Amino acid sequence: MSGMSGMSSAHGTTLARPARWVAGVGRVGAGTALLTAVALLPWLSRTDPALTVLRARSADQDPTPAELAAVRGELGLDAGPFAHLADWLGGLPRGDAGTSWVSGEPALPQVTAALGVSVTLMLGALLVTVVVAAAVSARTVHLGARRRLRRERTGTGAAILAALPKFLLASLLALVCGVWLGWFPTGGWDGPASMVLPALALGVPSGAMIGGLLDQALPAAFHEPWAQTWRAVGFPPRHTARHALRRALPGVLPQLLPTVVALVGGAVAVERIFNIPGLGRLALDAAIAQDLPPLQTATLSLVLLGTVAGLLVQALRRALLGRALRDGALPALPRPEPATGRARHLIAAGCALALLALVLTGLLRDPLHVDTAARLLPPSTAHPLGTDSLGRDLLARLGHGALRTAAVALAVTAVCALTGLLLGLAPRVSSGLTDVVATMPAVLAGLLVTAAVGPSLWGAALAVCLVGWSPYAAQSAALLEQERAGGHIAAARSLGAGRGHLLRRHLLPALSAPLLRNALLRLPTTVLVLASLGFLGLGEQPPTPEWGRLLSENQPYAELAPWTVLAPACALILLSVLAVTAPRGRRQAAGTPTG
Amino acid sequence: MRATPRRLLTALALTPLLAGCFAASDGESTGAGSGAAKGEGRLRLALAVPPAKALSPYSNDATVLSKLSVGEGLTALDAKGTAAPALATSWKRDSATAWTFELRKATFQDGTPVTAQAVVTALGHAHRATPKPRVLSDVELTALAVDADTVTLTTKNADPVLPLRLASPALAVLSAKAYAADGTVSPVGTGTGPFRITRLTGKTKATLDRYDGYWGGKAKAAGIDVTWIADGTARANALRSGTVDIAEWIPTAQAQLLDQGTRHEVPSVRTDSMILNTGGGLFTDPALRAAARDAVDGSALVDSVFGGYADPAQGLFGPAVPWAAGQRTAVTGRARSATPAQVKSETAGRTLRLATYTNRAELPEAATVLQQQLEKAGFTVKQDVREYTQMEADLLAGTYDALVFSRVTLLDTGDAVAYLASDFTSTGVYNIAALKNPSVDRAVRAAAEESDTAKRQQKIMRAEAEILRTDAVVPLVHEKVVQGVATGVEGVTLDPRERALITLGTHRG
Repeated sequence: MSGMSGMSSAHGTTLARPARWVAGVGRVGAGTALLTAVALLPWLSRTDPALTVLRARSADQDPTPAELAAVRGELGLDAGPFAHLADWLGGLPRGDAGTSWVSGEPALPQVTAALGVSVTLMLGALLVTVVVAAAVSARTVHLGARRRLRRERTGTGAAILAALPKFLLASLLALVCGVWLGWFPTGGWDGPASMVLPALALGVPSGAMIGGLLDQALPAAFHEPWAQTWRAVGFPPRHTARHALRRALPGVLPQLLPTVVALVGGAVAVERIFNIPGLGRLALDAAIAQDLPPLQTATLSLVLLGTVAGLLVQALRRALLGRALRDGALPALPRPEPATGRARHLIAAGCALALLALVLTGLLRDPLHVDTAARLLPPSTAHPLGTDSLGRDLLARLGHGALRTAAVALAVTAVCALTGLLLGLAPRVSSGLTDVVATMPAVLAGLLVTAAVGPSLWGAALAVCLVGWSPYAAQSAALLEQERAGGHIAAARSLGAGRGHLLRRHLLPALSAPLLRNALLRLPTTVLVLASLGFLGLGEQPPTPEWGRLLSENQPYAELAPWTVLAPACALILLSVLAVTAPRGRRQAAGTPTG
Repeated sequence: MRATPRRLLTALALTPLLAGCFAASDGESTGAGSGAAKGEGRLRLALAVPPAKALSPYSNDATVLSKLSVGEGLTALDAKGTAAPALATSWKRDSATAWTFELRKATFQDGTPVTAQAVVTALGHAHRATPKPRVLSDVELTALAVDADTVTLTTKNADPVLPLRLASPALAVLSAKAYAADGTVSPVGTGTGPFRITRLTGKTKATLDRYDGYWGGKAKAAGIDVTWIADGTARANALRSGTVDIAEWIPTAQAQLLDQGTRHEVPSVRTDSMILNTGGGLFTDPALRAAARDAVDGSALVDSVFGGYADPAQGLFGPAVPWAAGQRTAVTGRARSATPAQVKSETAGRTLRLATYTNRAELPEAATVLQQQLEKAGFTVKQDVREYTQMEADLLAGTYDALVFSRVTLLDTGDAVAYLASDFTSTGVYNIAALKNPSVDRAVRAAAEESDTAKRQQKIMRAEAEILRTDAVVPLVHEKVVQGVATGVEGVTLDPRERALITLGTHRG
């Protein structure tokens, strides 16, 4: 056994150098590809950048050919995208990132200021994330360390929190803690107090997501032989808990990148609600106006941020797992199958019934009938869930939107998870790409899709698929690395098992349960992101009912008529809880650790 | 090995510390700007549209200069929409193309005097700016200093509305220091108004102090602290939580949440209408246009979508254009509308592509109401809703059959002809309706050439009737603007043209 681990260690060191080299090339390649795509945006899109720049500067200006020609000449648009890209790249070493096409001001100071704000906010959100994740998994840690984990946790709490739409949470916090109670400023960026509410709005759902994943990974760590031994020897539970966390965290840490670090560029809605001058809004405004220099600079800063954060997470994982990973001496995490509790079945059945009732009663009603005399009516017998601002029946809109919403979100999630899994199988090539894509806002993908194929029904799904795979790729890569370092893999390999066999019998089964859990926890986010691209003409057009749209179109009425947002938010939560608690036959197959 | 978790903990513990530093330093830097200025008598104001071009008068930002009483032109518009003295005390028309303006004794905020030469410099820069400010787009203007306080302006063609034009915030006269060699213009400390911009922080904040040398006397407020808040709900929240004294443009969904005493409504020169594409598709058929006009009822939007903050449409020009109602010409000779059955057979298989944009929250809702109204009349409707810049090219190319559209009817000339000419004449550059109608062209040209104010107004209303007769545009509502003003704040100007807001007399009581 010791000889074997020595062998694999030698194997590992010879691989390490080219691996790092390949990963480096992957990072540079991914960054270059993305920057080139952004640089081409104004020329790919069917909208003249001269027109969008003119509009951004002066909305009422008549778009006469002479004015457009003046703008085009001033910006040198006729020189083409590559001249501009070369120009911009050439300036970077001198610290010159060009001047904004709209304002004529240097792009770099704007972007660095916004980046500073956004990174600060993200760190605040990270803190909240850590606290919430700790709270979510606290019970499992406590019981696990004392070997009292008998029942599987349902994960309902985590699913509910993770399904909370961030913009709704932000509106609610601004209203309650800002306007009503006056505890914190309702907006702006003037010192630590103004950071509290946005950090909470961003951090709570993220924390629930991370905590939910950790909560699921922990029982396996507590079932490892060392934990039993330590318990028998009488080590304090605190000690066991710490080492179990060290064992389970490395599989979850890479999720911080797409969940928390991505908030630097992807928190537009929350930045808007709290009037925070962050990078998300800057990048979006620049993208809408096709103002290339700030957009490119913002993209570059996100690429660098993703890369740095990716390397940091990688280093942290290595530090936590230590030499065991390098030496291939990591014991396989046994996957215990605790008795599935009755509670879980009850919750799943309850959610399924509630959703079924919602859909069935909703389908019998007309979701499109506008009645301006019946606007914003509270729930009553005529309208069990009330009406929206146009007097449309909310129950009908929820019911009719259910299937479309769930089907599209599930399909997109499935595609993302599969893509992520495939890319995660080749981590050396894909890790750079994964880090870069993880911090890219979906709206940037949306703009690229609109530019390439124009507005379309499937555009939103396509755009989300383009960036949505990164959490799964990061997860697969991390778990695979740990799994491959397992002694049982080395044993199987020495018995002559081929790569296909290893993949089929050991690696994939080990990945499927955590991947599925991750995908299901991300389902509500997917629904919301899909709807958030509507303003680009991507996805279903109004008045088609769709849950994400129901939430965003009723958001302005959240205070005047709370039921208009509560109903779709609850529906989303029901869907999420159902997805997490639903019985799955495949889990049994995943439960067998070695063949 | 053992140190690792500790290191992790240290890193996590550092997070809030680091975060605190960041936020504190930001707070300090913004605080320093308004340092001495913090105190009694200052107004805190939330504006909606962040500066696009560092408050350059040749951009969207021009109205900020007039809203905050920073810059002035030679003239100003009074409540009736006619030209009133500002930096010029009087003017006379020497010939069809030549005018003489007499200047008042005034000083710029940097201490230099307002001279005829300064006016010539300012107007010259506006004229040479690229792109040219909208207000000068259809005029060739030459300014000449006759003596220290007399300026003559000559135009290439006769321009009866020149005094109105000069009231445009884009033509504010700034001191020589404002105009940089590279063509940029900075109003920071260079205006003539009662308030002086002392500091502009990116797109988020501006600090203004009272300018005591103002020719019109001292302003009551000691200064203005401006915050730009793009989100309407956030603006309303800022007012409700007492962070600001004045918040402009409260969205209708939020207006109802404000205290009765803090919401002030004013009819706006914005008219929302449905534009029908006469150049291609369904609505080339006048009978179908007439059917759409009959089907659509804008008054249904007033109490629903606009929450009461609008007036049912009277025509293209609403109550904010005070002379319009009295001189309205009846629309005669309209096409007969097709019955629902006829509409169904005529449009067989073709859908009506109804477009609108998300930038104004009410428009998508209005489109959904209109969709139902049109479907009742026999049309099959499909909506397309996007951000405005994402669809403008398609709009101008005539991709849609109908557009729900919000339009300022008095552009920065303060004169209605510019809007009619650009939107409805065959050579108009913003002619989304693709209208090519000789009678409309004639009527608009007649109005443009008329120099007598009363007659010009009559001719404008005649042109309006000509346009409405074609059914290329169906007016829906005239919008109202809700300005949020905290109790105790007095003297806020409610301007239908959205040019004025804070003036000499605005103060906290």
